[in-house]
Amino acid sequence: MRPRDYALRLRNRFTRRAVLIGAAQTGLFGLLLWRLRRLQILESPEYQLLSDDNRISKHLVAPARGVLYDRVGRTIAEDRENFRVMVIPALCQDLAATLDAISEIVPVGAADKDRVVRAARRQSGYFPVLVTEGLDWRQFALLSVLAPQIAGMRTDRATYRRYGRARSMAHVVGYVGLADKEEVSAHPVMRVPGFRTGKAGIEKGLDAELRGEPGTISYEVDAHGRVVRELGGTPSVRGKDLVLTIDQELQEIAHKRIQDLRVASIVVLDALTGGIVVMASYPSFDPNEVSFKVDLAQWKELARNVDHPLENRALRGQYPPGSTFKVVTALAGLEAGVITPEERMTCPGGFLFGRHYFRCWKRHGTVALHEAIKQSCDVYFYHTVNRVGIDRLAAMSRKLGLGQIHDVGLAGQKEGIIPDTKWKRKKLGQPWYPGETISCGIGQGYVSTTPLQLAVTAARIATGKEVRPHLITPATPEPEPAQLNIDPVHLELVRGGMVGVVNEKGGTAVRSALTLPNVQMAGKTGTSQVISAKNRGFLKGWYGETHALFIAYAPVVSPRYAAACVVEHGGGGSRAAAPVVRDVMTEVLLRDPALKTALLASNEETAGATKERKR
Amino acid sequence: MKALFAEGLERPHVRLKQKLLALNWPFLALLTAITLIGVAALYSVAGGSLEPWASRHVVRYCIGLALLFTVALSDIRLWLRVAYPLYIVTVIMLAAVLVIGVESGGATRWIGWGEFSFQPSEIMKIALVLAIARYYQWLPPSQVSWPYAVLPPLAMVGLPVILALDQPDLGTAALFGIVGGGLLFLAGVSWLYFIAALVGVIVVLPHVWASLHDYQQERILTFIDPERDPSGSGYHILQSKIAIGSGGFAGKGFMQGTQAQLNFLPEKHTDFIFTMFSEEMGFIGAAVLLALYLLVLLFITYMALRCRSTFPRLVAGGMGLCLFAYVFINVAMVTGLMPVVGVPLPLVSYGGTSMLTMMAGLGFVLNAHINRETRIRREEIGPFW
Repeated sequence: MRPRDYALRLRNRFTRRAVLIGAAQTGLFGLLLWRLRRLQILESPEYQLLSDDNRISKHLVAPARGVLYDRVGRTIAEDRENFRVMVIPALCQDLAATLDAISEIVPVGAADKDRVVRAARRQSGYFPVLVTEGLDWRQFALLSVLAPQIAGMRTDRATYRRYGRARSMAHVVGYVGLADKEEVSAHPVMRVPGFRTGKAGIEKGLDAELRGEPGTISYEVDAHGRVVRELGGTPSVRGKDLVLTIDQELQEIAHKRIQDLRVASIVVLDALTGGIVVMASYPSFDPNEVSFKVDLAQWKELARNVDHPLENRALRGQYPPGSTFKVVTALAGLEAGVITPEERMTCPGGFLFGRHYFRCWKRHGTVALHEAIKQSCDVYFYHTVNRVGIDRLAAMSRKLGLGQIHDVGLAGQKEGIIPDTKWKRKKLGQPWYPGETISCGIGQGYVSTTPLQLAVTAARIATGKEVRPHLITPATPEPEPAQLNIDPVHLELVRGGMVGVVNEKGGTAVRSALTLPNVQMAGKTGTSQVISAKNRGFLKGWYGETHALFIAYAPVVSPRYAAACVVEHGGGGSRAAAPVVRDVMTEVLLRDPALKTALLASNEETAGATKERKR
Repeated sequence: MKALFAEGLERPHVRLKQKLLALNWPFLALLTAITLIGVAALYSVAGGSLEPWASRHVVRYCIGLALLFTVALSDIRLWLRVAYPLYIVTVIMLAAVLVIGVESGGATRWIGWGEFSFQPSEIMKIALVLAIARYYQWLPPSQVSWPYAVLPPLAMVGLPVILALDQPDLGTAALFGIVGGGLLFLAGVSWLYFIAALVGVIVVLPHVWASLHDYQQERILTFIDPERDPSGSGYHILQSKIAIGSGGFAGKGFMQGTQAQLNFLPEKHTDFIFTMFSEEMGFIGAAVLLALYLLVLLFITYMALRCRSTFPRLVAGGMGLCLFAYVFINVAMVTGLMPVVGVPLPLVSYGGTSMLTMMAGLGFVLNAHINRETRIRREEIGPFW
């Protein structure tokens, strides 16, 4: 074969092989296209989901808590803007370094750092952990600018709870705090950083209503988790606003009035509707301090204080009602028909029952019902209760609102004790001894009540209706409370006695009569022994003193307000409790729109009269 | 002397005019179209900005065009003479890289003098094609399949492959292998050699595999199937697949690609530009781009077939193989068909060296096309010079 033929053969071979390679290339491109078809057409939906997962980061948005208003629309508690800084542990190269970087701008305590590190270990690394909050604008702006440089750090705006007239309102509204472990496990939504739930008072009792519904927000994030833009989401639903029956101004006045006492509480009810106008308890605390940026030392001090400032005594304080209970005994006696208003009994300063001598605080001589209430004669009521018996007394007590929980929307209310034979058998497993009945007649012995219950009793006696206390103004006016199944004549007799206590010479609270013209208050004092007199020596000083109580209603004609006040270890009811009620009641009456005009008119009249006289 | 040259070549002015006319202009239009797709993709990757990539890409393409014309219009015999020296110099530079090279991204590929730096492996692609083509231009056609005649080109391929593996740059090594092997095939080396090589690999590979340590096997398996390690190199492949897949049939729209725009993609302006492009333009866009490349390849094959002499024929064929290898490896890599090796997408990926190399290579294709009728006789050239 010649070289030329070789060359030709080689060229033909090249042609064949080049075509073959061209075909192979086309085939391999076909393979690529087939692969693309699989990715982009067949499996595309799957990859689209993955792509969205990549770029969309969903967050829960804590809802704004409902606002609390007082009965005339003053704001008691509301959400305010709160600048916060958080870390997302998974995005931090070094959590400690990130925290250090943050603390160069905002001081972060060692305890806070510790908490963040622990929280980061506990939950998903992509869940933001709150570092600190309540930044001022300058700090917030600075951190926001630095955000791209500090790995894993986020700033955001949230809200915090602000309480007005905080100290006087503390026990009613309560406070909020970060959701605790049980709450979180019950409702994972509460892991939203900074989500707060009610811990006491209305905030806790009506938490479900105030809380609202969390919303979601989606952010488009890049591969480093940096937010590129907001994609929207579902808005959070604001919690329900609530209007309380409390009058903030009166509450503040009441709080100031009992501030000089060591431990005291006062409740004022609108006797017609049952709305609680004032419910003050002292000592108190500032809910702002315990719901936001809590100082641990301060919190411990509050929790350990011997006077228990966190306790709402108006609802949770249980005291023997003492002589204030005599109105109940009197009604029980009248209703049972065992006493008549005319019957006179002799008080020689005590009452011998079996082998036990029950003392009266004074020799009253012979007294009828009116005088017995007015002068608070123990012996009269020893006789009365002896005839009535414990079960009928207990029934009357319950009818008047004692020994039961009045649900006003606050958690942790106390029931008190209204003893009867059944109660004793159940609780102590013993039969009832008749001797025990005697001291119950004057509100001692097993009997114990809360200030709220006593105020309800006062209101029910004043109006003759089954007044039910409440704290939240109902959306629709509630139906008139039902009439109590008590003879109005009997009620009138007891009321007469209560009027005498305050307004007649010899009444136990005559020094606490209202100084308002044309308006009078009726009431009943009480001085209850903490322990029986025999053991008195064991408790020294303040702890050994008697509780001072006073229940009242006003005005005497067409009663509108009922009140109860307990001054713990305050001494005598007439000396310690009655003046408090007088002062608070005066302010309440002065602010009552219906009474205001009448009072003003009479004021002018008196002023006019003085002028005349001067002339 | 006159007889040694093809007719008409002694009149330079006519020669240039003829050469320009002989240029394959539709081919150039195709290249420009692909480059413009690259510019658009780079514009999108930069978040809708000509800076920093798109504008420079255009400038580089223009420089590349100048280079392409220079190469295309140059005398083919010059390259015949330069082929071996160029190859030797490049091999030396490739070896030098291992000693004095600049390390970048875990591999030493760059060599630099002051401001200027380049990758010898890029020049090697051209030098290799030229050298092998030069060899077969010289080899008597009757001896093509002689065993001793197969050895020199095998060495020519083997040397740069080993040097590239040493860098280590698997992509480039594979590319050298494909181009060299392909050239031998096109040159007419007997099928028997290729079948023998294949059988040899099949026989030896399991033994090599068995002799490897577990961790080495694991590393190779991860290299072949990156999804075994989703947080490492598998992350890139997974993100790339997510991007391409989420593009769907019609794509997310120009500049709407979330994966790329949000930095989920690595090297999105260089090796992974195809991912970004097919995320935004979908299956249709990807198919169009691939079709354009295929057209270019078929054009090259056509041009190679029309060459009268061995040297231009093999140069064109070799450059075509090179372009094909680039495109195929890149696309197969980003779609998860092949392991991740750093191979750019020609004319689309951002990168100066690869752009210039590619344009020079295509210049050689056009040079071959212009010289399709040129007869180069064996006797014109010596074995080495």
